[in-house]
This record gives sequence, structure tokens and C-alpha cells, in this order.
Amino acid sequence: MIRNYIKIAWRNLIKNKAISSINIIGLAIGIASCLLIVLFVLDELSYDRFNERKDEVFRVVFRANVNGELIKEAVVMPPVAQTLKQEFPEVVDATRFKRIPSPKVSYEKNNYRNGKFAYVDPNFFDVFTLPIIKGNKVAPLDKPNTIVLTKNEAIKYFGKEDPIGKILLVNDLQFEITAIIDNMPNNSHFHFDMLASMVGYSAAKNTSWMNSGFYTYLVLKKGLDYKSLESKFSAIIEKYMGPQMKEETGMTFAEFTKDNQLGLFLQPLTDIHLNSDFSSASTLEQGGDMKSVYIFCSIALFMLLIACVNFMNLSTASATKRAKEVGVRKVLGSKKSQLIGQFLTEAFFSTAAAMLLAVILIVIMLPFFNNLFDKELQMTYLLEPQIVFTLVSLLIVISLLAGVYPAFYIASFKPIAALKSKFLSTGNKKGVRSGLVVFQFVISAGLILATLIVDKQMTFIQNKDIGYNKKQLLVLRESYFLGPNQTSFKNQILTDPRVERVTSSGHVPAGVTNNSVTGIYVNQKFDRRVNIFYIDDEYIPTMGMKLIEGRNFSNNFGADSLNIIVNETTINKLGYGSNPIGKTMIIGVNDDLKTFKIIGVVKDFHFRSLHQKIEPLIMLNKSSSGLIVRAKGADMSGLITSISKLWNNYQVNEPFTYTLLDDSYNETYMAEQRMGTILKIFAILTIFIACLGLFGLVTFTTEQRFKEIGVRKVLGSTVSQIVLMISEYFIKLVMVSFAIAFPLGYYSMNIWLQDFAYRTKIEWPTFLIAGFITICIAFITISFRSIKAAQTNPIKSLRTE
Amino acid sequence: MILQIKNLFKWENSGGNRVFLLNDIDFTVNEGEFISIMGPSGSGKTTLLNVIGMLDGFNEGEYTFFHKEYIGFVFQSYHLIDELTVYENIETPLLYKKHRSSERKALVADMLDRFNIVGKKDLFPAQLSGGQQQLVGIARALITSPKLILADEPTGNLNSKQSDEIMTLFKQLNDEGVTIIQVTHSEKNAAYGSRIINLLDGRIVSN
Repeated sequence: MIRNYIKIAWRNLIKNKAISSINIIGLAIGIASCLLIVLFVLDELSYDRFNERKDEVFRVVFRANVNGELIKEAVVMPPVAQTLKQEFPEVVDATRFKRIPSPKVSYEKNNYRNGKFAYVDPNFFDVFTLPIIKGNKVAPLDKPNTIVLTKNEAIKYFGKEDPIGKILLVNDLQFEITAIIDNMPNNSHFHFDMLASMVGYSAAKNTSWMNSGFYTYLVLKKGLDYKSLESKFSAIIEKYMGPQMKEETGMTFAEFTKDNQLGLFLQPLTDIHLNSDFSSASTLEQGGDMKSVYIFCSIALFMLLIACVNFMNLSTASATKRAKEVGVRKVLGSKKSQLIGQFLTEAFFSTAAAMLLAVILIVIMLPFFNNLFDKELQMTYLLEPQIVFTLVSLLIVISLLAGVYPAFYIASFKPIAALKSKFLSTGNKKGVRSGLVVFQFVISAGLILATLIVDKQMTFIQNKDIGYNKKQLLVLRESYFLGPNQTSFKNQILTDPRVERVTSSGHVPAGVTNNSVTGIYVNQKFDRRVNIFYIDDEYIPTMGMKLIEGRNFSNNFGADSLNIIVNETTINKLGYGSNPIGKTMIIGVNDDLKTFKIIGVVKDFHFRSLHQKIEPLIMLNKSSSGLIVRAKGADMSGLITSISKLWNNYQVNEPFTYTLLDDSYNETYMAEQRMGTILKIFAILTIFIACLGLFGLVTFTTEQRFKEIGVRKVLGSTVSQIVLMISEYFIKLVMVSFAIAFPLGYYSMNIWLQDFAYRTKIEWPTFLIAGFITICIAFITISFRSIKAAQTNPIKSLRTE
Repeated sequence: MILQIKNLFKWENSGGNRVFLLNDIDFTVNEGEFISIMGPSGSGKTTLLNVIGMLDGFNEGEYTFFHKEYIGFVFQSYHLIDELTVYENIETPLLYKKHRSSERKALVADMLDRFNIVGKKDLFPAQLSGGQQQLVGIARALITSPKLILADEPTGNLNSKQSDEIMTLFKQLNDEGVTIIQVTHSEKNAAYGSRIINLLDGRIVSN
């Protein structure tokens, strides 16, 4: 019996090639997209789960609200780890690491500057599961000046030589290599190539609760409710931080916490990748976020649903073709259940074919997809038991989902009616089918709208007046390697006719930048933390910023050492109103408190991403390493080559590096751009599948109305009138879908836009464009078939009767 | 006696009026009969045949069929399944009756032999002439050894030569003991049968 079913299924597939391929290709695209997203989501959820103690490890983080400013840091004070371990028996172990950004690494005569380096406590490997593959496996970091490298990093320096016992210089300090670990897994929230012992590192012994910088992880007793431990932290902070605060700021802890809050909190290790909202300075690596995981999951589900809907629609529509067969079979003695079995077998068969095609599609698309998501997903993932299980369940679920309705529908034909093909005019079936078309276009139109809005926001980001001119700025942050020669290097650059201005500062409003934050005191009282820029007199004109009040620093270096320029936000926050020039405040600079006078106000510019509101910023006239070059003319690459040649003249053993500010600015919005690209791709795929379905339905409609079309033509109808007649109904359905898609899309995109402090408005033209695009695509799809049907010679259709 | 119909009525309501499709039908069929139902278009011949074959219901009256399982159908437009070969078409009723594979093979082979269509067993219906298709249709109807064959204008789509062949075949089957009821327009075909029932507007006018 089954063999008979399969035979029939196969022959039907071959007979209706066009519809079958629409069915299978549509479903395959749906399944492939869904599976790719599943791979991505599984990977996102797998972060840090390779650790054996993943459920017991928690990161200590710092959150505070000081004068209305929210502070969120993933790093805490150096003594926190030890203190918590001493104070709480629930804390089994505590370990820390301190990241050192791009240190200079030397081996023999070669210098490198691309290792990822951290000082770690000796018990680091007890907390994190990073297997040591060579060397001292027990206590590799117990002694000062010892270091552990990853496999790849060791190969970089030593090739095939045995690295154990070799000496590396890091920032001119000697380290002995004691062990080699495997490369860190991709799905780890940190990736270091070099782990040096914290034992000899003096900053690690610092007992101050007033400065920060250490990533701190606790191992808690199994099954402990970490929230209850967390609630005991505030007492500890008061106990240890209180006295130090009184000494440093003159304020008691109670006084401080009257208007402010601060606290230490625990974050589960497996939460770090997806649920982190810490300041960019303390973020180890750009993590994922739960919101996009949800978005992608829903897209995956939608794609699958749309593909299934197609399957259902096309199967029920093509049922008319199977009517006679059903009638005959019933007359020959088939039971309804046997017919249902037969049509389910067919659904299963097509689904299996689609699934096979989907796997092939994934193999082809995976590299591209990896590139898009910035992932290294492997094909072998598909062989993992979970995925195989998912595939098999999908196969069954889709077969049922897509097959049950048509199967019951077809199997319920009355035999005589079926033999006479009398059942065609069943209104409510058309209703169901229309509902499904509307559903598909709700999702398609919704995704098109979402894509347009993301695009609009990206354009907004590109074109927003950010308060300075980001074009043609060349950033040389590493000019400090030149040491005393930096000035002569700068002067040489200035002689190039392609250069307009040069400023010495490492404070860049986008991308990697020097980052300083300090406290200010107004009227003898601590007021708030502010961002500090160290700039020279060339900075404001070079960057293209505008002074709205007062004056710039003078070029007489030193004359303005106690003067500051502030941004508008500072003035507003401090309530200096209309006459800020000449006002003073105390600023802590390098642990010194000095009084500074405001001499100028710079127009607000964005020195963080548009996700964040502009914060108060104070600019000091102080030298800072790094150069920013404003170029003129079109020959940017020529200029870069010349500067690179100049650099090499100084023989500093350092490669010449530069960034273009424009690029850094765009990189800030990488996640959004990626989201935009992904949305675009899936919107296209979704509407493609929906159109496949529409195409199939129109095909059947025209077949059903073949005779009617013939009669109409004989009566004098034109081709366009017939095309319109066929299209009208479907276009109406698409329009109905807008009524659901647009409010939904508006609502969800508004949530997405909330992430941006500065955002575009969603206005009616966007809806109009989304609607227009959708209708155009639908109409073109319909026209493919309807025009052909309308052009058929009426004699043909009338003769068949 | 193979079936009995007593005072059977079938009607449709159309615009408040009751339109009788079958009106007080009353007759019996004995085993081994070859009955032809005749009458003009719309007189209810096919409806009656469908009721007899239990493909259609009725509104009032009594219908008794004594061998429920064993009816074979032959249609004017053959109604072969286009996607199945000759062999598979003939085999299908056996599948639904859950015969074993070896049994099916033997039965189908017999049938192919009997109708001299062994050479055509792997062809699809579309590759056959009308007469050949009807032969397959009859073979399919006979495969389950029915007691009764219901034929709705079995030669309606055939030329006269093919017609004669099919009718001769029916006669031969009837001689072998199969009861046959056919609907036909043609006096010539009706002459093959043993009894004629004439219908007009759903009523039996002569029996």
C-alpha cells in the first residue's frame, strides 16, 4: 500500500513539475532559513557553556547611580575577589583578570603588537575550563613572571620549537612560558592569547575600593541562590569602601548613599554573552543580545510558517486536479482514512525532498551566512544529535502541518461529486485559502516595513549633524611610539599640501579612543562624573567643531593650563544658563584637585554612539598622545602612503597604523547594519516564498476560470480587463494584510528604535512605500500567469467542453 | 434475488418546489440478470444506478442489497487513475481489500491474460485507445470477483466496433453468472440484456 502511495506521489510530483517545484523550493528555502537561524541561535545560547562549572560561576559587576548618571561596569575594585571569598563561606573560589590592551611583545629581535594579553590570578584554570595541553598542568601561574600562551600564539612566536621555558618580553617585562593551552573556544565571552601570572603584578595588590579595572569571578556553592548572596553585598561595601571614601572625598558613606546608589551584583556566567549592558570601556567583547535572538527566532518561525502555508494552499488548490482520482478510489473501496494516509504520505514525501534540498542550500549558504553573522558555524553542527533530532521532528511536524488540512479536505470529497468535478465552488475553502494568503502578506509587508525603517535609521545616523565633520579625518593613535619625535613627525605631516590641519590628541569621537572620566566639584561639593578630553588649540578647528561662546585655547602652550572648554550639555546640567564664561569648578586630574575656569563652550557633538544621550564633556588644554589629520582633496590613499613612509624613517620597530574616522563611525553601528542586512535578506526570501504561493494560486484560479476567460474574450473583453479581473481579488487580499502588518510593524519597530537616544521618526510615507513595494511585487507575480491566461485563444478553452 | 428496491423516492428542493429525481421506484433484480436501464436525458438513469451502487443516498423508500461488498463499477469515461499504469489500476481495488502481494500478482496476471492486455500492463491510460481503456476499466471492476457490475453508459465514448466488443464481453460475463445492470441510450446495446427498465422523469414507465 505504502509503495503504491509513494509511486502515486512521485508520479504526481513529476506530472505537475511547476507546482511541485514551487512547493518544494518554497518549503526548502523556508526550512533552510529556519535551520540556519536555529544554528545561529544555538550558538548564541552556547556561550561559556563549555565550562564545567558553568552553573556555579558568577561575574561580579558594579552598578551605580551617581547624581542621576547610571554607571554600569563589568569590572570591579581589586580587593573585591579576596574580600568576598573571606567574608562568605558560600563563595568557594574567586578569581580575577586584568586586561592590558595591545601590549608590545618581543621575542629575540622581533616586536609584535597584536596579542590579547591579560594578567590572571593563579587559580584561573580552576574556574575556567581551558585545558592545558603542554607544560605545567598543575600550577602554571603560581610564580611571578610566568605566562601561559594559547596554541596559536605559541606557533606565532616559536613555530615548531618547544615554547616551554622560553622567555618573552611583554612591555619590556620578562615572562617565562610555563604552559600552553588550547585555543579558546569561539563561544567564550573573552579571548586572550596570553595569560600572565597576576602574582608579580603590583596593581593587583592594590587594596583601594575607590578604583576599578578587575574582571572578577566567583565560584559559588552548587545550587546556591545567588540573589540571596547578592543582597548581603551592600553591608560589605559599606564596611570596606566607607572609610576609604571618607578619607578621599571627605564624604561619609551614609551621606553619599543618601542621594546616590551603588552596589555589587552577580551575573551568571552563561548570561554574560547575551545579557550585558555595561559601559563599552569595560566590555570585553561585543556580545550578542537577547532581543536579536528573539527577533531571529520569530523570523525563523515565520519563514517556516509561510513555507508551510504555501504547501497547504497549493495542495488544497491542486486538490481539484486530484478530485477524479479521489472519486475513483472511493468507488473502488478506499476508506477515508486510507485516503488521508495517502495524502499525508505525499506531504511527507515532498517535505523530505524539501528537507534534502534545504540541507544542500545550507551547505552552499553557510560561508556567506557566517560572514554575515560574523560567526564560525560549522556544517558538522548539523550532525549533532540535537540538530538531527530537530530535523526529524521538523520533518514530521511540517508534514503534518502542511499535509493534514489538504489531506482531510481532499479525502472528504463525495465520490460522485468528485467524479463530476462538481465540488469546485465551495466558498469557505476559498475563505481559508484567502486567510492564508493574507497571513503570508502580513509577514511579508511587515518585514518590508521593518527593513525600510532600519534603513531609514541608518540613513539618519549617516546624515545626522553630529557636531563635527567626520569626513577626511585620519587618526594616528599610536604616534606615541615616536616618543619625543612626535612633534617633528607632526610638523613634517603639516608640510604636505594634502593636509589641512593636524591636532595632537588621542580623544576621538568614534572608534577606539582614549577614555578619561573624572569627578568635578562645584561649590566645594562633589557634583558628578564627567568625560574629559585632552586637546590642543588645533583640536576644535581640525575636527570641525563649533564654539558657540567664548574662545578656543590659545596657541601659546601653557597659557590656558587652568582654563577649560565645555560642551553645551555640561552648561545645561550644571545650570550655568546664559553666562557660563568665567565660571569655575574643581576637577580631579591625576589625583590632584585643581580649580578650572570656563573660557569657551563648544556646540554639542556626539562623542559616543547615537544610542546614548550626549553627556557632559570637559576639554582640558593638555598634551595627549595621538594625532588626528584633516586632509583635503581626493588623494587620501596617496597621503596615507606618504605618511607611512615618513613613519618608517623613524625606525621605531612599530608598524604604521591608522584609521579613518569615517570608518570607525560606521563600525559603531555594525550590529545595526548587520541587523539591517539580515532583515533585508529575510524580507526578500519571505516575500519570494509568499509570491511562489501566490503564483501557484493564480495558476489554479486561471485554470479553474479557463472557460470563463474564453467566454469573456469571445464577448469582447480585452487582455488587460481580464488581467485586472484575476488580479483584483488577490490585490484586495494583499491590501487587507496591510491593515494587520502596519500597526504590528510600527509597534515592534518603535521598540527597536527605543535603543537609540537619537532616532528617525516613522512617518506615513514609509508605510506608503512599503505598501507600494508589496503591491507591485504581488501584481507582477500575478501578471505572469494572468497575462498568459488572458492571451490564450478562446477557441482552445471553449473546445475542451 | 440480489437486490430489492421498494417505493424509493429521491428529490431535490429547488426554489420551494420539490423536484423528484426518482419517483416511486419499485423493482427487484435476480442473480444472473442483465438489465438495461433506458430513458431520455434527465430521466434519472444515472441517479438510479448511483443509488444502487450506494454512491448516492435517497430520501424515502427501501433498498436492500444482499451482497454489499461485491459491486464493480464501469463508467462511460472509464475513470482510470491517470498516474497509475494498467497493471496498477487493476491492482488498486485489491489493495483496499487488503489482499496479500502474491495473491494480487496472481489475480492481476489472470485478469491481464483474460482480456489479452498483458503487453499493455506497463502503459498509462493516456497511451491507450478508448476501447482499451474501457477494457482495463472492466478488468478493474472484475478483479474483486463482484456479484454485480454497474455500468453507466459503458460504450458512450466508443465507436461501434469497440462498442460491440465491450457488449460481447458483458454478455459473456453475464453467461458466466455475473449480474449486470447497465445504463444505456442505445437499443442495440440494450438488446444484449435480458430485461429493460424504461425511465421517464424519475418514474419507471415500463419494466
